[in-house]
Amino acid sequence: MIRLTWLQFRAQAVTAAAALAAFAALLAATGPHIASMYAASGLSSCQGSSCQNLASTLLQQIQAAGDTWVYLISVASILLAPVIIGLFWGAPLIAHELETGTSALAWTQSITRTRWLTVKLTIGGLAAIAVTEGLSLMQAWWAAPIGRAVGHGGVAGHSIIGMGQFSTLAFATHGITPLGYAAFAFILGVTTGALIQRTVPAMAVTLAVFAVVQIAMPLWIRPHLFPASHTVIPVTSLTNTSETQNTGNSGNSFVLGTLNLPGQPGAWLLSSGTVNTAGQAVSTAPAICFTPSVENSNSGFVDCLAGHGIRETISYQPASRYWPFQWTETAIYLALVLALAGYCFRRLNRRRS
Amino acid sequence: MNAAIEASGLGKQYRRTWALRNCTLAIPEGRVTALVGPNGAGKTTLLRLATGQLTPTRGMISVLGEPPAASPAQLARVGFVAQDTPVYGRMRVADHLRLGSWLNPGWDNELAQRRIRQLGLDRRQRAGSLSGGQRAQLALTLALAKQPELLLLDEPLASLDPLARREFLRSLMEAVAGHGTSVVLSSHLVTDLERVCDYLIVLAASQLRVAGEVTALLASHRRLSGPRRDPGTLPAGQDVIEQSHTDKQSTLLVRTGEPIHDPAWTVTPVSLEELVIAYMNPANDIPARGPQLGVA
Repeated sequence: MIRLTWLQFRAQAVTAAAALAAFAALLAATGPHIASMYAASGLSSCQGSSCQNLASTLLQQIQAAGDTWVYLISVASILLAPVIIGLFWGAPLIAHELETGTSALAWTQSITRTRWLTVKLTIGGLAAIAVTEGLSLMQAWWAAPIGRAVGHGGVAGHSIIGMGQFSTLAFATHGITPLGYAAFAFILGVTTGALIQRTVPAMAVTLAVFAVVQIAMPLWIRPHLFPASHTVIPVTSLTNTSETQNTGNSGNSFVLGTLNLPGQPGAWLLSSGTVNTAGQAVSTAPAICFTPSVENSNSGFVDCLAGHGIRETISYQPASRYWPFQWTETAIYLALVLALAGYCFRRLNRRRS
Repeated sequence: MNAAIEASGLGKQYRRTWALRNCTLAIPEGRVTALVGPNGAGKTTLLRLATGQLTPTRGMISVLGEPPAASPAQLARVGFVAQDTPVYGRMRVADHLRLGSWLNPGWDNELAQRRIRQLGLDRRQRAGSLSGGQRAQLALTLALAKQPELLLLDEPLASLDPLARREFLRSLMEAVAGHGTSVVLSSHLVTDLERVCDYLIVLAASQLRVAGEVTALLASHRRLSGPRRDPGTLPAGQDVIEQSHTDKQSTLLVRTGEPIHDPAWTVTPVSLEELVIAYMNPANDIPARGPQLGVA
């Protein structure tokens, strides 16, 4: 059965190998240049506060060299690989056999359906994991200098390369989460194929369900995998703020948020807001802070807020939880994989039509 | 004698409709059985139940004394050629033979290779580009080389032209001759199978209409024609399968274990085709089988 599976899987395996090779070639062509920029940046031997500036300079150089595009393409590839695997390996696995009637051939050889499915799922699932995780590891090698620069607190404006390890795109394309997604997309395709029994509709349903899961996970599930940490810090210590001010009839309101947590590079900032001395959320400030002379002076507004006892409260996940988050999320996906696989076995051994 | 296929109260329901209902039969081993019925009669359902591709809704079925597809050993004893003889379109002919040899412990590679040579199939050709007849022969080769004790073929002739049908049946009979292999072939036409079968099963409207040895069935059925007569006045032991009346004449197809002595009747034997059509016709009410007809 292993030999048969390989025989039938050969075309897909060749395609996947070609895609991996093209991906590797793209990264190999641009990776050494990034590595040399990193070596020249002095970031590897920097001390203390100089690091952040060096890191930001490096990120700007990388952007100037046009490598943002490579980063974008590689991240997109890692995100799309499970989708393609689910649609083109998973969905047809059972559905195509039923659709063309070859199931009657396959399942009347001297081999049980359980064994047939075990071998198919094992080889297909391992290949799915290998391809996706392979892409991720290659990208991790390529982007390692960028990751270190971001880890040193380097900022790259709104560019994708400046995103932290917990950002939706970075978290889903690095570490071990890609392998969980790949295995899940594959078995999801197999399951919908077994249920719908037609390849093309099964592909459509696989795509829809996978998209919903991949959107729901970072939005509603991941932030709650571990209870958030909270801290209250002076507004003057904020380094990367977003502020809006509004002076009008309704009063002098403002919103002061932060985009990162000072002193904790790599932490995942969940929410931030301003509180008064009593710890209550505030959105209005004394009118004095809104006078033009204060507002226009350098950081005068924030100093003014601080002077009136306003501080920033932040809820976040510390950087040290990166791997616990990775493991937990991957475990959730693998649990889904096992549940769906179990369903496929039951379904195949008790076919209703 | 052991049964190749034994079913009791067997039923299969798809959602609301029954594809097969209350089917009790025992096909003896070593026979070539024609499983005949109109399209949608339940032939495919019965064969798929017998190969374990479906599970019964009601009743039980055992194949060569075991539940179907229960183990690799049971699967190895049963060969199956499905309707439209599906093969893997992208795989080459030679790959199909490798598939057979990998998945079947009893695989007779020499037989498979010889058949492919005799059929003139190109081993490197993709199965998807074979003609209907070639594909049927490839599927049959796979089933035969497995060396099954029971070979089930679902409408194997449907897509073949008359010449290919003849050739297919000839090579099938050649292959099973002398091995004692039990064969079940389904078709909606008995004429296709008349020359090869020695056991007959007729299904119609999801129900078993008749099952028995061909010679016994032919011997026990007669066509009677004579002056118009109420079938209710026939002696006991003469079951009316089919009747037609004009003002003066009655023509009956009866099942009986005894010779017909009534001089009013002109008695003629029935052909297998007439018999099958009479049993397939849903308008005919088949009386319960009398005890005198203990066909194997």
